[in-house]
Amino acid sequence: MSEQTLNIPQLLAVALIGFFALRWLFSASSSGGDRNNNGGGVGGRGGVASRRGGAGGGAFRVDPAHVDQIQQMFPQLDRRDIMWDLQRNGGNIAATTERVLSGRGLEAPPPSFQPAQPAPAPRSRPAQPSTSRSPPPPVHPDLITRYNLAAKIREQGAASGSMPAAAEAEFGAAQRLGWSTNKDERQALLRKRREDMILAARRKMEEKDRMAT
Amino acid sequence: MSSAVAAKRLLHEYRTLTNDPPEGITAGPVSEDDLFVWEALVQGPEGTPFEGGIFPAEIKFPKDYPLAPPQMRFLCEMWHPNVYPNGSVCISILHPPGDDPNHYEHASERWSPIQSVEKILISVMSMLAEPNDESPANVDAARMWREKRAEYERIVRENVRRGLGL
Repeated sequence: MSEQTLNIPQLLAVALIGFFALRWLFSASSSGGDRNNNGGGVGGRGGVASRRGGAGGGAFRVDPAHVDQIQQMFPQLDRRDIMWDLQRNGGNIAATTERVLSGRGLEAPPPSFQPAQPAPAPRSRPAQPSTSRSPPPPVHPDLITRYNLAAKIREQGAASGSMPAAAEAEFGAAQRLGWSTNKDERQALLRKRREDMILAARRKMEEKDRMAT
Repeated sequence: MSSAVAAKRLLHEYRTLTNDPPEGITAGPVSEDDLFVWEALVQGPEGTPFEGGIFPAEIKFPKDYPLAPPQMRFLCEMWHPNVYPNGSVCISILHPPGDDPNHYEHASERWSPIQSVEKILISVMSMLAEPNDESPANVDAARMWREKRAEYERIVRENVRRGLGL
């Protein structure tokens, strides 16, 4: 008798604990699904997302810094595509880079792939930059700004017309000067060649403009 | 070890380009402290809308150069069917051999250790003159080149002038 009365509360307790445990489990998994879905539904997708999230926790996690690095190289790529490729090759930046450069492009990830941060809809493969994708094109400074040549152009303007004699002589010297054993001299010669090339092209273009008018 | 080989080879190429620079090309390391990052200036080929322009580009070499090819990216506005909108150049000589997904490139056109920076830059110059319509990297530019050549050339000429600060 006493055994029976003891058993019924025990059974009740087990049932209650079981009930709450299950409730807790389900709510935990569905809220996890919510989080992974960026506030999406708690339907089948939520289930899939939370399952994937659980697996991802144990497996490889894509480092956002790596994604940034690749995106800097290829601004036209979709962040999500990069993450998918990195996820699959174990975070090998070189492999992803090579893949893009080889022209194969990145695969579009399956819809169930939901990276940690909000990603725009899967779009844009590098091979098909279409009109709907609009990354702001990289704005480059012109060569004068890039190589700090404004002062040299003003000098030329002061001397007026074609190449000043001094610059001409210097230019010739730079042309004749070959490989130097001194690292700094080499560097200086390279810089000089670059500047001469740009300034000469600019002069030529200006001359053409003058002829046209 | 292999990176030392690469550095040696790069220094050698730098020397060749300094002593005997090809017409319209200037190239060398940004700083000799890192021989794996170069900057090049390429002159626009004559008789093309790129004529008169100077186009800066960055060349990045892998540690196993010359086994693997470098990457090249223009650092200026470049409206061209074979240049990605971010400036990356897409030509066969920059593609590793045995890795042709589309089977239109001959192995001999692709990268191999007997190629060089000079050959890449010369290939890029001829690419500017004659775009390869088979594998457009910039589909919009490719379409314009095919269908509205005048507009394509106008954009290119504008970029040439803008690059020179005019």
